[in-house]
Amino acid sequence: MRSPGRSRFIALCVAPATILFFIFMVMPTFNVFRMSLFERGAYSPTETFVGLNNFKVLFKDTKFITSMQNTILLIVTVTIITFFFAIVFAAILTREKIRGQNFFRIIFYIPNILSVVVIAGIFSAIYKPENGMLNSILSLFAGRDIMILWKDQPMVIVSVIIAMVWQAIGYYMVMYMASMSAVPVDLYESASLDGAGRLNQFFEITLPLIWTNIRTTLTFFIISTINMAFLFVKAMVAKGMADVGLSFMYAQKDEGLYGYAMAAGVIIFLFSFTLSAVVNHATKRETLQM
Amino acid sequence: MKKTLSLLLASALSLSLLAGCGGAPQTPPAQSNNPPAGGSNTSQGGASTPETPKGPIKVAALASAYEETYPGMWKEVCEAFTAETGIEVELITDKALEDVIGPAMQGGDFPDVIHLATGRDKKLTEQFIKDKNIADITDVLSMTVPGESAKVSDKIVPGFTDTSITNPYGDGKTYLAPMFYSPCGLFYNAGLFAEKGWTVPTTWDEMWALGDKAKAEGIDLFTYPTTGYFDTFFPTLLYSAGGPEFFDKAMNYAEGVWDTAEAKQCFDVMSKLASYTAKVTPAQANDQDFTQNQQLILDNKALFIPNGTWLVSEMAEAPRKDGFQWGMCALPGGASGTSASYCWMEQAWIPAQAPNLDAAKQFVAFLYSDKAAEIFAKGGAAQPITGITDSMEGDNKIFYSIYDNGASAVMGGFAAYASVPGLGSVREVFFDPFNSLVNGSLTADQWVADIKAASDQMRANLLTE
Repeated sequence: MRSPGRSRFIALCVAPATILFFIFMVMPTFNVFRMSLFERGAYSPTETFVGLNNFKVLFKDTKFITSMQNTILLIVTVTIITFFFAIVFAAILTREKIRGQNFFRIIFYIPNILSVVVIAGIFSAIYKPENGMLNSILSLFAGRDIMILWKDQPMVIVSVIIAMVWQAIGYYMVMYMASMSAVPVDLYESASLDGAGRLNQFFEITLPLIWTNIRTTLTFFIISTINMAFLFVKAMVAKGMADVGLSFMYAQKDEGLYGYAMAAGVIIFLFSFTLSAVVNHATKRETLQM
Repeated sequence: MKKTLSLLLASALSLSLLAGCGGAPQTPPAQSNNPPAGGSNTSQGGASTPETPKGPIKVAALASAYEETYPGMWKEVCEAFTAETGIEVELITDKALEDVIGPAMQGGDFPDVIHLATGRDKKLTEQFIKDKNIADITDVLSMTVPGESAKVSDKIVPGFTDTSITNPYGDGKTYLAPMFYSPCGLFYNAGLFAEKGWTVPTTWDEMWALGDKAKAEGIDLFTYPTTGYFDTFFPTLLYSAGGPEFFDKAMNYAEGVWDTAEAKQCFDVMSKLASYTAKVTPAQANDQDFTQNQQLILDNKALFIPNGTWLVSEMAEAPRKDGFQWGMCALPGGASGTSASYCWMEQAWIPAQAPNLDAAKQFVAFLYSDKAAEIFAKGGAAQPITGITDSMEGDNKIFYSIYDNGASAVMGGFAAYASVPGLGSVREVFFDPFNSLVNGSLTADQWVADIKAASDQMRANLLTE
């Protein structure tokens, strides 16, 4: 069937992406693993082989353990809250007749196109202790002056969670809206003829039919949250208040401990890989055909 | 036909993509006549004028508030240098200089002169110090300033080239040139003090008394922009409590230094200060909101903030209470009774791998010329050149006269130590926990215990030649 010319053509078409992927993804990744076994400064020409010593120290470093705990806390809470709201909003906007559907869709999506620095600026105004938006609203309802220090312990992690959820909801909502609108309407019609209520329809029809989509996005989201958590923490709060894994890694690099930073990078890499695999496995269901 | 066309397109695509990875042009190392390591004897200083100018040299300078005040400041200096020596200069200035020159340096492409201070977030200069990757410029001090007859060492104010800021290894050799300095101290609203009839405290007891008085009027005694500002405050406190000898010991993490009565006094002041700090401070002590803490002074919500002279221009546009007027004072004297003000300094240095070492040294020497100083002064930058404060005006004149009014100038900082995994930086160990002291999530005892434990490791890893 296939002529040699055709396969050569395919190989040529795939080659650029493969080569680039190899140079910019595979090689650096291997380099990270290699460098985690060495000790060197970022700008120094010399390096010393230290074996697994970096990892030994890493597992005893309380700062690293705290920052990984923060990372896990953020991944779990942000994922659950974001997915809950994204799915609920998507279901409401696709299934219910609401005035200004498109308007809401745009409003929810806007945070996604803002850069993290802008979001940090917005939330800086929201979280401002005196005359900040959030504290003013709370004071209005409480009838007295409320001054919560959002960016101080112990509220700081909650503040980061709120900002991250706000940023992520829109994107995933639009994704689910797309897959929900692909669900044939006659399924809902026959279900309602059988007497299924709205809630029943959502759990029995909508959710199972978009499950593959949820699985894929879940994996994406977990991996991106590791990075987003770092960006948000870096832009929003003081150093040492809510450090996450990647901020620990960068701090070590700035300290001149390139190898140690890479060791942290290796652990975070393995962590995100394992987590994705576990999530992928745990969410495995029989695929339903529409 | 179609196939050939798509083949052509595909290969063009892959080629053009790969072409992007060509990397920065490499400066051939052969251009330099000198071995890159510091301490070469071939580069003679003295009164001899340079023979053949080499170059062009690459100068990387941080675009700080001075460059903002007078845009083109560095460019003008470089042009003046070229006019004087004939050596071409390729200038890089950026607010985030580390991000601009960092990747190229990791690839082996080094600028010849870098003007970037220690104490920045990215710690680039510190990394070069720790790696002993900076060229020895002791001989620059005996070089003649290009275009003048004076030697560099004659122009620099005595004392500025013997601190750990310029001689990081404590071996009498200078590696970093002292460039712009700024007195640091406590800034306050002089108008408010006049209005209330308060006087600036000269002892810590008076400070606490004032704190209680102010508290009664709803004003907090203290705030700080971020914990990073304690890198000037805390050393000054140590100096004023124990004098220069104790200061040196503390800066070198001497054994048992944190158990002395002087150190205990400092820790007590710090923990008491934490209880007098405006409660909102830690929530705003980040890079995004630190100006809100500085605003507390302008709004008469806090009395004192540790800062440097750049604060005035940083907050120039901010709204303020009627009758507001900047005041600056030294830290109150401790038991020894000496009030002290930290002298914050920016450094210029030459990476050991700089391709044009000789020309770079000439450039550093030229930075101390009258011509260069005049250009820098337009941006409000003051160099440690004898007589430079005479030509100052306005707020700056008052600020820089702090040392004439009896305050000791504190120079130097915590000694550099080889980075050890798990140890953490001076800021992480000493200063960052101050946020937790204020919000109560850490006790002062725990803080001191952590400092002692880390100090032992820092001492063990001190960098010495």
